Amino acid sequence: MSESGRTYRPRVLLVEDDGGIAREISEELESRGFDVLAIEVGDQGLERALSGEFDVMVVDRMLPALDGLTMIETLRARDIRIPVLVLSALSAVDDRVSGLKAGGDDYLTKPFAMEELVARIEALLRRPDDTRVTVLRVGPIIMDLIDRTVTRDGREIELLPREFRLLEYLMRRPAQVLTRAMMLEEVWNYRFIPQTNLVDVHIGKLRRKVDGPDEEPMIHSIRGSGFSLRVPDASDE
Amino acid sequence: MSGASAPKEAPSRAFSRRELTRAAGFRLALGFALAMLGAMVLQFALVYVQMTSLEHSRSDALLRRETALLLAMPTEHMNYVISERSTDDLRLIINAEGVFTSSRERIVGDLKAWPEGLVEDGIPHDVTVQPEEGAPYVLRFIATRMPDGRILVLGRSRHMLGEQKLMLRRASLIAATPVLLFALMAGLWLSHRALSRVKEMHEAVDRIMQGDIHERLPAGRERDDLQRLAGSVNRMLDRLEQLMHDMREVGNDIAHDLRTPLARVRARLDRALTGANANSVEELHKAIGRAIDDLDQSFGIITALLRMAEIDNGRRRDGFAAVDLDDLAGDIIDLYEPIAESEGVVLLRDDGAPQRKGGVVDSGHVWTAARATEQRQDSVSRPLVVHGDRDLLIEVLANLVDNAIKFTKAGGEVRVSVGLWNDHPALSVTDTGPGVAPEEREAVLTRFYRSDKSRHVRGSGLGLSLVSSILRLHNAHVRIEDAQAGRPERGARFIAVFSAPAR
Repeated sequence: MSESGRTYRPRVLLVEDDGGIAREISEELESRGFDVLAIEVGDQGLERALSGEFDVMVVDRMLPALDGLTMIETLRARDIRIPVLVLSALSAVDDRVSGLKAGGDDYLTKPFAMEELVARIEALLRRPDDTRVTVLRVGPIIMDLIDRTVTRDGREIELLPREFRLLEYLMRRPAQVLTRAMMLEEVWNYRFIPQTNLVDVHIGKLRRKVDGPDEEPMIHSIRGSGFSLRVPDASDE
Repeated sequence: MSGASAPKEAPSRAFSRRELTRAAGFRLALGFALAMLGAMVLQFALVYVQMTSLEHSRSDALLRRETALLLAMPTEHMNYVISERSTDDLRLIINAEGVFTSSRERIVGDLKAWPEGLVEDGIPHDVTVQPEEGAPYVLRFIATRMPDGRILVLGRSRHMLGEQKLMLRRASLIAATPVLLFALMAGLWLSHRALSRVKEMHEAVDRIMQGDIHERLPAGRERDDLQRLAGSVNRMLDRLEQLMHDMREVGNDIAHDLRTPLARVRARLDRALTGANANSVEELHKAIGRAIDDLDQSFGIITALLRMAEIDNGRRRDGFAAVDLDDLAGDIIDLYEPIAESEGVVLLRDDGAPQRKGGVVDSGHVWTAARATEQRQDSVSRPLVVHGDRDLLIEVLANLVDNAIKFTKAGGEVRVSVGLWNDHPALSVTDTGPGVAPEEREAVLTRFYRSDKSRHVRGSGLGLSLVSSILRLHNAHVRIEDAQAGRPERGARFIAVFSAPAR
């Protein structure tokens, strides 16, 4: 996998009191090229987070000694901007809102697929480029955000507004694995999991327009995870 | 030691309860007897007063009549009659009589002197007479001046009244004993009857509390308050039993719906491990992938149930804000259009959709379109805004549209409309599918209900109950109608009506 091939291993601080889940997460992340330190108690987690030696944090909401949200608030109050992914056992939407309010950057409900967790951690590590750019480029695709036009190798691609939004989201995160839930949240601002494979259909339509019949495919389905936009040459690394 | 004391406690408690009932019965009977005694005393007092006033007016009438009779006699004859007390009336009715001169000197009669304080005005008065010896006594006198100046005085004693009063007092005292005894007995009997029914109810309630939910209170034909109360309690128990039954049903449904995918997971993993393809990595991967899908389905059900519980708790109203229904409908169409297209179904916005002739839908309900389609006159120009949670409301619409697309065959239509339903903000989703039978309409909104027609359609069976939970939180409700009654594919129309008036 391309992730494991990178030279720098991002360091993850995992604060999770359920030993079983912590072990699963650690092993999975280690195998995908992360260095993980797992801690079970809130105040110890805070101590380690304050050291500033980690790239990203995964924090359970309910923790002994110091609960996850208080911990994040403390971090933010000390101006420590490490990206934080909050885990919660309940699907309560309010929890999500309070989690983000406390200073969390993303929120994930248990149970979750490992792919979902990894994709979100990757997304937190690779924050999108400067939003002030007016032209996005991924390989042969050029998106003009002012004229609202898209071309691939000079071929004009006509997109509906929602297709444009979706492609923009993909182009701001090239080569990144993006899950269906992430896309629903970020592109459509929906917080629920629909019963139908909505995202697949939207991606399918976009793919037919972006990847022409004679062209190298750029929008890839990642089994069990989601989708990824990749430059043709770089995709088969 | 503790073993010996435990069984001792139970009978003593039962005994004390029996004693309590007895005490209550005695108190009731005593109260009854006291009330009876009070009634008797009151009656006695009334008779007493009535008797006194009757006797007074009778005395006065007699005195007047006698005076009139005597005055009608010639002087000589009257003197004779008075001095001899020769008439029956004078002997029996009148106790003192005399004729006096105008200067109140005695002429004739057994009154030796003019009674102190008497005035000759022809009106009866009570006057105290002081005899030469003995205690003073009161007589009722009438003194009348005759044309020749003489004064006729007649007096009547009140010993009759005194005797009558004495008789009444004695009679009442003698009667009181048997009456009180009777009242006490009747009270005991009545309270025993009432309390024994209370006791029956008590025992029935005890049995119910011990878990026999089918037990009912003895209500009879509900002819008195106690029976009516028992009837109410019984109806409450019916409702509770129904709710308990429903809950058990839901529990069973949940267990069943969870067990099905879990059983599949188990079978799949079992076969992957021991089956013929156990050595093929590819097959193993496939089996694991499917197992995860099945587990996700179980999780989906649990998540939906937890969400519903959370929504039903109603804590989420804190986050309510203004939500524009127009935007909501636009967003949902944007999200679901590709899906509809891939299913061969047309998904469109049509605010006039639930409208039939003259803006009247079915039984007199009025739908007003939110957007002017085809230059409709009766459209709402303001945006339709409700107070709510956008995320939840979009989920309502998503579920309704998702359902509508699922049940509509290729070539059909799904319309999303925003408007006013009887002046209340409303969203509606109309399809051209098989529709919902009237008898199934309530049931489809409950947990896990799936009509026979939809057994083959995948889904958790919780979508519509989630919809009604969310709408309940918003003080809104769902109406289900036929979109085009009479046709075999009658189509379903789900209308979410908000109870708050349009702002």
